[in-house]
Amino acid sequence: MAKLDGKKLLACCANGAGSSLMMENAIKKVMKRNNIKPAELRHCPVSEGKTAARNYDVVFCARTFVKTFEGCEKNGTVLIPLKNVMSDKEIEAALKEAGLLD
Amino acid sequence: MATVLQDIVEKKHYKFIDGEGVTWQEAIRLSTLSLVADGTVTEDFYQQIIACVEKYGPYIVFEHNIAMPHTQENADGALKTGVGFMVSKKLIDFGVDEDGEEKKANVFFTLSTTNPDEHLQNISQLSEIFMNDDLIDALAAAETPEDILKAEKDFPCEEE
Repeated sequence: MAKLDGKKLLACCANGAGSSLMMENAIKKVMKRNNIKPAELRHCPVSEGKTAARNYDVVFCARTFVKTFEGCEKNGTVLIPLKNVMSDKEIEAALKEAGLLD
Repeated sequence: MATVLQDIVEKKHYKFIDGEGVTWQEAIRLSTLSLVADGTVTEDFYQQIIACVEKYGPYIVFEHNIAMPHTQENADGALKTGVGFMVSKKLIDFGVDEDGEEKKANVFFTLSTTNPDEHLQNISQLSEIFMNDDLIDALAAAETPEDILKAEKDFPCEEE
C-alpha cells in the first residue's frame, strides 16, 4: 500500500483560485500515475489553509507561503513547498524526498 | 469544444503591446482591457490584482516569463469567467521574489472567475500550456490573433 493512500492532501495559494487549482491538478496527475488514492484532495486560499492545515496530512504551497504554515509540522502535517506549482515532476520528486512516495 | 486559446481569439480577448517602460502595475491594467471591452470585468478590476501582488509578492509570475494575473473567485469586478491574453515585446519587470530571484513576464493570461466549472476547465488547459515550452515561445512571439491559433496548431498540448 502506498504511503499516501487514504491521506488528506491540501493545496494552498493566495486566492485559492489560480495556482492552488493548478497544484491540485498536478497532484492528481502524480496520484494517478502512482496509483494512489488519497482520502481527500482539495485546494483553498492560504487564509483558510492556515487554520485548516492541521486537519491535513500533507499541505502543498508555493514557496512564497512557507512562513504562513510555520509550526504546522508540530501537528504532524508535512509541508511540501513548491517552486513551480504546476510541475507534476517537482511534486513527485518532493514527495519522494519527504519519504511519502517510493 | 473550443480550447482556451480559440476562445481567446473568438472573443477578442487579446492584446499586443511593446512594453517599453511599462511598469508591472500598468501591464496588469493593460492585460485586463480586452476583458473590459466586452464586459467580462469592470474597468477597475485590475486594482484588485495589483493589491494581491503588493500583498503577496510576484507569485503570479511563473517560469518561462509567464504571468497569470488573477484574484479570488467572484471578486468584485469579475462579471463573467474569461481569460485575457497579452504579449509584451519587452519583458515586464515584477521585482524579486522571496528568494531574491528576479521575476519578469512577457506572456500574460489574466483570469476572471465567476463560474467554477468553466474556470476549472480554463486552469487545466492553462497548466498544460504553461508546461509546453515550444508553445509558450511561439505565443511570446505572436503579433496577431492568427499567430495565437497557429502556435496552438504547431505545438499542441497532449490530451489527458
